[in-house]
Amino acid sequence: MHHAHIDKFAYQDSAIHRLDSRVKFLVVLVFTAVVISLPRSSLSILACYAIGPFAVLVWAKIPLKFVFKQILLVSPFVIVLALSCPLYDRTPVAVSFGPFSWQSSLGWLRCFVILGKFIVTMLALIGLVSTTRFSDLLAGLQKLGLPRLLIIQLGFLYRYIFVLIDRAHHILRARAGRKLRNLGFKTELRTAASMLGSLFIRSIDTAEHISIAMQARGFDGNWRTISKLKVRRCDLFFVLTAAVFVSGLYFFVKPILQ
Amino acid sequence: MHMANELLSIPVATGTLAIAAGSLGFICRKVRQVIAAEKLALMGILGAFVFAAQMVNFQLPAMPGTSGHMVGAVLLAIILGPHLAAIVISSVVIVQCLIFQDGGLLALGCNIINMALVPSYLGYFLYRTITNGRFSSLKVYIGAMLACVIATEAGAILVAIQAALSGVLAVPLSTFLITMIGVHFLVGFVEGLVTVTVLAYLQQLRPDIVADSLPGTVRLSKNAVLATLGILAVLIGAGLSLLASDLPDGLEWSYAERPDEPEFETVVSNPDSRITAIDDFQSKYSLMPDYTARASKLGDVADQQADVGAGWTSFAGVVGSVFTMAVIWLTAWMLRRKQAL
Repeated sequence: MHHAHIDKFAYQDSAIHRLDSRVKFLVVLVFTAVVISLPRSSLSILACYAIGPFAVLVWAKIPLKFVFKQILLVSPFVIVLALSCPLYDRTPVAVSFGPFSWQSSLGWLRCFVILGKFIVTMLALIGLVSTTRFSDLLAGLQKLGLPRLLIIQLGFLYRYIFVLIDRAHHILRARAGRKLRNLGFKTELRTAASMLGSLFIRSIDTAEHISIAMQARGFDGNWRTISKLKVRRCDLFFVLTAAVFVSGLYFFVKPILQ
Repeated sequence: MHMANELLSIPVATGTLAIAAGSLGFICRKVRQVIAAEKLALMGILGAFVFAAQMVNFQLPAMPGTSGHMVGAVLLAIILGPHLAAIVISSVVIVQCLIFQDGGLLALGCNIINMALVPSYLGYFLYRTITNGRFSSLKVYIGAMLACVIATEAGAILVAIQAALSGVLAVPLSTFLITMIGVHFLVGFVEGLVTVTVLAYLQQLRPDIVADSLPGTVRLSKNAVLATLGILAVLIGAGLSLLASDLPDGLEWSYAERPDEPEFETVVSNPDSRITAIDDFQSKYSLMPDYTARASKLGDVADQQADVGAGWTSFAGVVGSVFTMAVIWLTAWMLRRKQAL
């Protein structure tokens, strides 16, 4: 297996990792909503908001290099759209930042605010995902009222995603070993389609085997887990800290920084 | 075309989240009544298949260095039926968000609608309408192709509309729409080609899979789809016509001030002190204070003196934040070193 375990840090152990998944999910959701609703002209408040997820990531021992690589990986769409702002909005603005002061356009300001919000909310999301096992997250989401069918679906998907990615790697390696040059679009397409088709057929066969095995063990469509989800005192403490952080910045720091 | 958090406003994000959650819940409840337990594993694994399939890339013609891959929503819709495909692709989008951090948490509703719900139902409906009746491979080709192109385009158009409704971007809607439609026409076209070839391959090797013989297929009533399609078309049309011009729409025009005619009397204005007090309160504490009012103040040269002071506070904010983060990092580093010793 050569694939990168994308959520390998979720299996570490720290105080953050041990928090209830529901609590973390809701805190990240509210945090994201508040950050998104910040005014679109203030950049410095975003730096203050970055402190929270940053502290969580550092505390949970998530390598910052991994975090920034991950953010860079998912950013192209946002970067393109953010960079289109300066092209269309050329309203001049006087920007002053500490000892410096220069003339810029509103578009650039918007561009940087979009990128800043992107980074801050991504920090929060990575903080959630890389400190919570997916199974715990699913159990929490089920408690929060997600349909059971969807939870089962997500559980299966997560269980087999790495198996099938591994299989795709095998097929890709086989193609790379046989194909030494570009064969032209038609042949390339036909090869790719055969690869996809055989992958599809194999997936369906695997699914059949698995469902036979599961039925032999008494699976009736219900997912039973030993759920130990309980909101403890440290969870409440986390919520309280997060609430004080978010609302404190919103009501006391934001008006000053505007 | 994963939508990101920061391209959305809160009302649009919550609205789309509510729509996505509602329709997913409805589909799940409906499917749950018909589906057999052994289909659950199949659905899960086909979700994983979508991920694996996205790794199988191939060279695109005329554009060296770029490669295409398939998304698979329409393929799954054709083979599994739209309900199951919608659930499978939604789960793929959720995992993309929660494990690969592609697309934000608040944008999840938009992403589920744009990439899972609309392509599955629209693609399935188009394919079914076209291939209706006697089987012919030309019909399958046209059906799958059209389904892929139109379903992809619909998702792309929805992205542009959602971004425009949120008003975060400075790009005019028409430009954004044209770009999105242009780019995604190509994406949809490649998707269509791959879908057709995969279908042909499957029909050669395992005709049982493509021949609707998978047990527990959920049938779709045509009238329901037609009605949804009609409503969607009206909604999209209305949204487009409202947003197509950069001018304020009629309603806004009637009560807003008109900069080109200073003598223009505002039609809707209420001088009552309570109303203005509430307006002031709202602009002070609302989640989304009006952007342009502050921006124009920023741009005013007369206010430059005041801005210098504001510049210093924001400088202090940024420096303080960076300093705090450095302190957090150093403390953690020192604590860990102590533990390691």
